[in-house]
Amino acid sequence: MGVENVIELRGVSKALKAFTINNMDLQIKQGFVTGFIGANGAGKSTTMKLIMNLLQPDSGEVSVFGLDYASHEKEIKNRIGFVYDSNVFYESLNLKDIGRIVAPAYKNWDQKQFKAYVDQFELPLNKPIKKFSKGMQMKASIAIALSHDAELIIMDEPTAGLDPTSRRELLDIFQEVMVDGKRTILFSTHITSDLERIADFIVLIDKGEILFDKPVYELQEQYAVVKGSTELLDSDTEPHFIKIERSPNGFHALTKDAAKVKEVFGKHVVIEEASLEEIMFYMKGVQNQYD
Amino acid sequence: MFNLIKKDLIIQKTQLLLFISLIIFLVFFARDISPILIFLVAGAYISANAYVYDGMAESNILLNSLPYTRKLIVASRYIGAMVYMILSMAMAGGVLYLFDYGYNMMDIAIAAGLFFIFAAFAFPLFYILKPAYIGVVMFIGMIVLAIGFQPAARFLEEHLATITNFIAGLSTTMLYFSGAAIAIGLYLISWVISQFIYQRKVF
Repeated sequence: MGVENVIELRGVSKALKAFTINNMDLQIKQGFVTGFIGANGAGKSTTMKLIMNLLQPDSGEVSVFGLDYASHEKEIKNRIGFVYDSNVFYESLNLKDIGRIVAPAYKNWDQKQFKAYVDQFELPLNKPIKKFSKGMQMKASIAIALSHDAELIIMDEPTAGLDPTSRRELLDIFQEVMVDGKRTILFSTHITSDLERIADFIVLIDKGEILFDKPVYELQEQYAVVKGSTELLDSDTEPHFIKIERSPNGFHALTKDAAKVKEVFGKHVVIEEASLEEIMFYMKGVQNQYD
Repeated sequence: MFNLIKKDLIIQKTQLLLFISLIIFLVFFARDISPILIFLVAGAYISANAYVYDGMAESNILLNSLPYTRKLIVASRYIGAMVYMILSMAMAGGVLYLFDYGYNMMDIAIAAGLFFIFAAFAFPLFYILKPAYIGVVMFIGMIVLAIGFQPAARFLEEHLATITNFIAGLSTTMLYFSGAAIAIGLYLISWVISQFIYQRKVF
């Protein structure tokens, strides 16, 4: 049996005032961590909202756990834990009261588990959420997302606006949560270094279009930043690159076939492993590379 | 459904103290105010507050990310408003009784009817308007209601003699029933409209 998809978008289109998603296809694989990357405004949050049914597509289908929202909304959401980039809980309430509101909504709420996370994250139960630091708000949100045995965790920019220490701490928590391997995690971020430690798959989105969806190891193997003299570039060699940046000192380019570039250019160029940030930078504005 | 209704109480725990003091304030400092208005304010208090909380985009994102359908969220709002209206009016009745402020069941019935009509128009508006305007709209609405209610009733009495004659001609039971039917009918229509709006709302 092949890998099953927890989330599937088929031909999804959505026109918003300042933004359009056109005929998007996306599959998120079960049991893996998928990092969803793209610049601010690339369409990450809109896609996440479509997956959460906060937005409904103009056309196309969204299915989660193989079910559609039209007839299985409650069942789907019972199995999802969510973390958003800003606090969505009633900010004048304390965590105890928020627990009282959220807990009865879920079939599998585990109060002991919730308490354990609250203790682990050292969160105060009687302080209003608005007095929490950004990092504490995120931890509170994660504690809730993880306390009802969710199979799918959806996190929209959970590290946005956090200082480096809190980010690191959160990433450690995520890593811990993912250890059991049953859970599927979809994690959107524009801080790509967050993902290099934890993601299995990377989906890159730009201007509402999925540019690629690949396993991390494949990106590391195949993609590379190539530097060399501009004299090497001509109509025969240029097609080996996705994007080329020229400067008086030579060119920098991104390739998705490092082996081929090595074969063609040999020792005339410098080939370096491309970081996710570099891939994101070079891919901005290029056409769909999905294959 | 019950959880969604109970949620308003959890959120408004502290405001409920304010609610009781508001009624006592009205009893002492607004002696000549109609008990109908007191019951109306009391009955609308929790629901109006709830709309302010749930009007925020964040609250909508939260509720819609939890295992609730949009239909259920709207239904709990309309049913919750009725439940809280009954509880609040009973509480207001108790407070008024303790302070020996005269009223009769007719006052409560009229206030309940007015609440249904007020809610029938206000609720769908709240789903359309941006949260920032809700406070303003409610404030204006309350003032208009407070200032306009008694003159409007007098105006109706004086100038629309035919209507009042017609109404007076009906039996009391008939009057109650038709009034209740209109108020509840409007409320139900409003429910359907709100549901239609909320299903299409973008957060």
